[in-house]
Amino acid sequence: MKSRTRREFGCLTGAMVLAGLGPRLAAGEAKAKVVVVGGGIGGATAAKYLAASARTIEVTLVEPKPRYTTCFFSNLYLAGLCSLESLTHGYETLAQRYGINVIHDSVTAVDPVGKTVGLKNGPKLPYDRVVVAPGIAFNYEALAGYDEAATQIIPHAWNAGPQTQLLRRQLENMEDGGVFVLVAPPNPFRCPPAPYERASLVAYYFKQHKPHSRILILDAKDSFNAQDLFLDAWERHYRGMIEWLPAQFTGGIKAIDVKERSVKTASETFKAAVANIIPPQMAGQFAQQNGLVDQSGWCPIDPITFESKLQPGIHVVGDASSAGDMPKSAFVANSQAKACAFAITAALTTSERQPPHLFNTCYTFLSPDDAVSNAVSFKPAAGTIKIIDNFVSQVQESVETRHRTAREAQSWYAAFTRDTFG
Amino acid sequence: MCKIIAASIAVGTFFAFADPSLAVDRDGGAQLAAMCASCHRLDGGDDGIPTILGMSPELLTRAMLSYRSRERPSHIMRAIALSLSDEEIATVARYLAALSRQVRP
Ligand SMILES: Cc1cc2nc3c(=O)[nH]c(=O)nc-3n(C[C@H](O)[C@H](O)[C@H](O)COP(=O)(O)OP(=O)(O)OC[C@H]3O[C@@H](n4cnc5c(N)ncnc54)[C@H](O)[C@@H]3O)c2cc1C
Repeated sequence: MKSRTRREFGCLTGAMVLAGLGPRLAAGEAKAKVVVVGGGIGGATAAKYLAASARTIEVTLVEPKPRYTTCFFSNLYLAGLCSLESLTHGYETLAQRYGINVIHDSVTAVDPVGKTVGLKNGPKLPYDRVVVAPGIAFNYEALAGYDEAATQIIPHAWNAGPQTQLLRRQLENMEDGGVFVLVAPPNPFRCPPAPYERASLVAYYFKQHKPHSRILILDAKDSFNAQDLFLDAWERHYRGMIEWLPAQFTGGIKAIDVKERSVKTASETFKAAVANIIPPQMAGQFAQQNGLVDQSGWCPIDPITFESKLQPGIHVVGDASSAGDMPKSAFVANSQAKACAFAITAALTTSERQPPHLFNTCYTFLSPDDAVSNAVSFKPAAGTIKIIDNFVSQVQESVETRHRTAREAQSWYAAFTRDTFG
Repeated sequence: MCKIIAASIAVGTFFAFADPSLAVDRDGGAQLAAMCASCHRLDGGDDGIPTILGMSPELLTRAMLSYRSRERPSHIMRAIALSLSDEEIATVARYLAALSRQVRP
């Protein structure tokens, strides 16, 4: 007999862990249909955990792109520390191991009366429930001079893939001594520490290859996430290289001049060798166009089931959702997607619903071997979601602790992307 | 592939009926274990974050309680341990141990 390889072993046990989740289906019973819109972190996780009860629920995942590149760790790519390929994941395992019907197309509209979703290039799909996880859209109207076309000249690189590659190329082609201008967005936005992690890792790259270059962060805000940890690290690793200008200093970002590659603030205009504009954000276009967002630009949800407060039968997870204290992160998207999948399974079958456990864990790199983390637990309360506990790395931590955290972050990436796509 | 799925379904069914205490909180254990899977691989593999699959329920419960009391340092595990009740810790520990009894060669 052929000996079992590690991979097969993983395959068997992966399916087994999930077999424990699946309620049994009586013979002849029709399967409930769930359509998942978007194969990013939220959508892929929801599809996988819904398909864990594949005998009762038929799961269709609709995602236009054949492969997904993670935003998390894309700042390491910008620093030249990993390839974009190593951050890219396919949908084969979700289809083959979990029996998910993966369709590479865009969902155009949802019809809550006829209970169908429309595809750009295919027939309408009937559903019993829909999970919507379209991620973010950019609110270009809030930023004069910058629009979709401008992203090809001045990238935002806030969705990973071609945008991240473009920014990396521009950094590579920049002369030593140039100024990299990063415009940080107003709250709320995807991944609160990420603009500052990006500044740190670009500084690392400059230190290795373009030591006379500088980084200027023009912020739409007056303070930012884990500010003390970043300021401490910038002083230790990149003294004099990174300058952060809060809105109260510049008077706020007024306009972008794409041709001049400059950013106009209320007080001054700053010219860049390379610019990275991260625009204000809102829920993904699909959510905007299908009555899922309120005045805030995000999707209000039930804090236990993630069902839309505006459209019954449609659940929203990930960055697009407006989930109280929960930040917009991949870990949160994954955590919400599981709670949502279990709630949908309970609603469509006879299985019991357990109270959800919601978490966020974020690893942030300050340099390749200096990383910090935070861990937050949340609880549905008073119609929204509240923080219960919040633990963050401290400024005085030892070099060894920071090393260990950086190594742990790499391990987390492997396990987490496996939990989502594998 | 087909054989593997068939095997896992069979084991899954066995799993649900083999131990009455597990059958009761079968869903609860699996749902709690899903939460662990965001960082720990649940297939016995180990990418650097240690596997929790081969642990006895007593050992895992003890570990969780010592994270909760800060005896063992890790603010990530502390946040998880604090958010779980004693009963939930016992449930997930039992679930993972039963799972590993089934999957370990
Ligand atoms: C630089 C950077 C660093 C980050 N670092 C971290 C980190 O360290 N840790 C962390 O937890 N998070 C991090 N994040 C945040 C994380 O990437 C996001 O929070 C996460 O991707 C959100 O998942 P999502 O499923 O909501 O959206 P996405 O992952 O963006 O997925 C949305 C998907 O929906 C698809 N879609 C959109 N519209 C349609 C439609 N009409 N039909 C079908 N499909 C559609 C899109 O193609 C896309 O694949 C980082 C983000 C950035 C930008």
